[in-house]
Amino acid sequence: MHIECTINGNERSFEVSKSDLLLDVLRQNGYTGAKRGCDTGACGMCTVQIDGEPTMSCITPVVKADGATIETVEGLGTQDDLHPVQQAFVDNSALQCGFCIPGMIMRSKALLEENPSPSEAEVREALSDNLCRCTGYKKIVEAVLEASERMGEQTVAADGGYSCRCEDTGLEVDSRGETDR
Amino acid sequence: MSNENDPKPDGGTASHPEQDVTEFEDHPLEWDEPENNNLAPDERASVSQSAEKDDDPKLVTGQAKYTADYEKKFPDLAHAAVVRSDVPHGRVANIDTNDAEEMDGVHAVLTPWSDETPDAKYTSAGQSYPEPSPWDMNVLNEHVRYIGDPVAAIAADDAETARAAADAIEVEYEENDYVLDPEEAYSEDAPQIFGDDEVENKIVGHDYSRNRMSQIEGEIGDVDGAVDRDDVHVHETEWETIRQSHAQIEKHTTLAYTDEDDRHVLVTSTQVPNHTRRQLAHLFDIPIRDIRVSKPRVGGGFGGKQAMVVEPIPLALALAADRPVIYEATREEEFAGMRSRHPMKVRARTAVTDDGSIEAIDLYALSNTGAYGSHGMTVAGNVGSKPMPLYSKVPNARFKADIVHTNTPQTGAMRGYGAPQGTLALEGHLDEVARDLDLDPIEFRKRHYMEVGDLDEIAGMMGGEGAERRIRSCGLDECIERGMDAIGWGDIDQPDEEHRHRGIGMALSAQGTGVAGDELGAAQLMMNEDGSFHLHVGGVDIGTGADTAFIQIAAEVLGCPETDIVIKSSDTDVTPFDYGAYASSTTYISGMAVKKAAEDAKERILHWGSKLLEEPEANLETGDGEVYSEETGESVSLEEIGYEAAYGHDEREHILGKGTHCTEESPPPFAAQFADVTVDEETGEFEVNKLVVAVDCGVAINPGMAEGQVEGANHMSYEMAVSEGITFDDDGRSEVTSFGDYDWPTASETPTIESILVETHEPTGPFGAKSVAEVPTNTVPPALSNAIRETVGVRITDMPITPEKIRAALEDDE
Ligand code: FES
Ligand code: FES
Repeated sequence: MHIECTINGNERSFEVSKSDLLLDVLRQNGYTGAKRGCDTGACGMCTVQIDGEPTMSCITPVVKADGATIETVEGLGTQDDLHPVQQAFVDNSALQCGFCIPGMIMRSKALLEENPSPSEAEVREALSDNLCRCTGYKKIVEAVLEASERMGEQTVAADGGYSCRCEDTGLEVDSRGETDR
Repeated sequence: MSNENDPKPDGGTASHPEQDVTEFEDHPLEWDEPENNNLAPDERASVSQSAEKDDDPKLVTGQAKYTADYEKKFPDLAHAAVVRSDVPHGRVANIDTNDAEEMDGVHAVLTPWSDETPDAKYTSAGQSYPEPSPWDMNVLNEHVRYIGDPVAAIAADDAETARAAADAIEVEYEENDYVLDPEEAYSEDAPQIFGDDEVENKIVGHDYSRNRMSQIEGEIGDVDGAVDRDDVHVHETEWETIRQSHAQIEKHTTLAYTDEDDRHVLVTSTQVPNHTRRQLAHLFDIPIRDIRVSKPRVGGGFGGKQAMVVEPIPLALALAADRPVIYEATREEEFAGMRSRHPMKVRARTAVTDDGSIEAIDLYALSNTGAYGSHGMTVAGNVGSKPMPLYSKVPNARFKADIVHTNTPQTGAMRGYGAPQGTLALEGHLDEVARDLDLDPIEFRKRHYMEVGDLDEIAGMMGGEGAERRIRSCGLDECIERGMDAIGWGDIDQPDEEHRHRGIGMALSAQGTGVAGDELGAAQLMMNEDGSFHLHVGGVDIGTGADTAFIQIAAEVLGCPETDIVIKSSDTDVTPFDYGAYASSTTYISGMAVKKAAEDAKERILHWGSKLLEEPEANLETGDGEVYSEETGESVSLEEIGYEAAYGHDEREHILGKGTHCTEESPPPFAAQFADVTVDEETGEFEVNKLVVAVDCGVAINPGMAEGQVEGANHMSYEMAVSEGITFDDDGRSEVTSFGDYDWPTASETPTIESILVETHEPTGPFGAKSVAEVPTNTVPPALSNAIRETVGVRITDMPITPEKIRAALEDDE
């Protein structure tokens, strides 16, 4: 069968069979940012947003994506111009092997869209479907809280007329100075 | 590692004041440290800055490539699936592969008898050579020894077809009796898992008639003599640990193909590229030079990939199918068929005088190595040789271990490598002794633990892995002090409800840094004409940030920005030799090789600087991307030097630096762990309010990354204290087949972990660094057991600590 969807702002169409799972289709089409950790919906490595909702793509039939808007980690910032959530992870030494990180970032982004200033407990709760074996979660939680703060500041700044590209794909944030040389 | 190596056959004691002169000559206190290795904090440009991790930008944008992400590069790639034994012990009587072979899209089916299946014995342990693990396995097995042992393998167009073909293979077994419990396995009449002729490269102390793959023992002083004295109390306690899964998020994955030069290439998620290359050469009888092992990004290892766990299967399939093959294990295979931490029973015994002087420590471990012996002897050795040296002032010490086979999945290296098991026993035991003798648990430890200048003989008491060593850095006092502060030692509020109580427990730990006398790392640095560098290093970054630490070390020496160094690591065709990422050695061994390579290049850079500045080299230094004169202040940029060296008139040179490093040293890092817990005495329910762990890792090359290591290790340690690990039903079948079954603490179930880095200076390490990533894996089980004991008076000795066990113990008490 044939499905059409929007991925990271681009219209895409795929020939798929009904039983195909979204993660497989994404990965076969070059969206390898979503990772495969279990195939059973138990680790969160494959998390993408479908119409804004954080979703485990490994257990999502691809037909559900028909007509939907999908966001994957590839649609956020670029290496030179990171999304504030990505930048906060980098600045907080929040990642080690990085395998869980695309899923974590998509989950965190979805959380912050729904709840722009979550408490630590809310962050921990929201991230509980996403496992991480490396970090002990502490720095990841700190990164999400910092991203929330920065994005909040950006919004205030934008309202106050400061220069800011407040597009989906990367607020202009110069945060490097805080932790780097 | 055996009695023959006992350094004190005369039973002499290790009392420190009278150490003889030769010991000081072999292990001088003053280390001949180059001046540039010891930089004051304000002299450090790259080192001990929390530089951005080199691979972070590609990781957070999803651009980084792990093994499975290379699939698309190979249009004719076949996918592998493995048929695994369904019985815990038996012999394959017949395999019917007809249906599988006839399926559309199937390219190869291998059984133990296929031509392409290697028939040599080997060990999967990724260790040095000759391997200290027995050669007791086959790639595909006729004699199967656990549910999950590989029996047949398939390559097909896609993973689904491969799986379907695997399911279509019918295997008939002649079943043998089996044994799951290590104590039963060790008895005379247990089913024998190995015939004597089924193992090559046997290990010291083996007795396969009793399923024992090894027995080791070491002693200094005279433990029995001390125990028999009239003026001592003898305490004995017993402890038990779980079978913990590495549960690396990236599963074992290998892509194998043959290139246009007929050489065999493996892109694989490994901690040990060079060992894997050597082991494949042995198994397949291919010259080492014709094998290339390349490590892309790796999604975690924790020791589970310090082994050639899956690589031979896709390589054999690629040869049979004559096309590239990828094997990505399933999560079920990860839990039931790969490696795990050795579950152990450890008995601790001490002889202590009335006034709290420890006269002897005696540890005994019974280790369950599972169906095969990989890392069996060496992990067991570390149960003694890592935790016991912490108390180097104790004059008499003995460690003994029996390592036995059972019909359960094989175990292997795992972060901590025996130290978590030994640390639980020793630190829990000392807490009991302190209570019994009414001593302060911290003061009691302080009287006996290491300090700078001590000669640690306990680490060397079994020869082999450990070695006598001089202690040249030790931040234990400060770790304890800052840890006590952070946890609020002696200053916590009790909950309002009468049935709820709050208390704190603590534990200490020491690890090593690399395997003393048995490691090698190497690096090469090439300067480009624009003043940038390519750093090639054998050291293996499995997600720890090692690449970044290497860059920081090189940048510190070269005086250039980190962004001017491009790193290429762990590709056996391109990068220099390295033992791999294990034993807490990467920063220390491979990092020192990088430092030497950078210094080698710097010498040439200064030579060219001297030419251009017309000043003697002795006046010159590097910094801020330049060579400058300390006399005149004149400078020349690295770029100018690069161009001059490459394109100059009279003389030209490619500036290359090389470094290789090995050492007899293995300085211990230290940790002080604190756990704050509230227990409900009616239900046994408990809540860990906070974990604090203070670690002395020498100089942290990258403090942000080092803290991350500490927190991640402590999370894993917490799991050892509160989770069941992998369990089996009576048939020997793993009860854990998915993340859902494996009880691992999620973000909301993990207590706050506060990590504290205590800086000391280790003169033998690059810029004063020693290891960090393992020592905090050892400490939560004893600290939490001690905290519960403190809070409600009951002692839980077998992990995990659960509300049910606490309640049962409280009821027993009544
Ligand atoms: S891969 Fe989708 S949840 Fe694990
Ligand atoms: S960073 Fe490795 S699993 Fe999260």
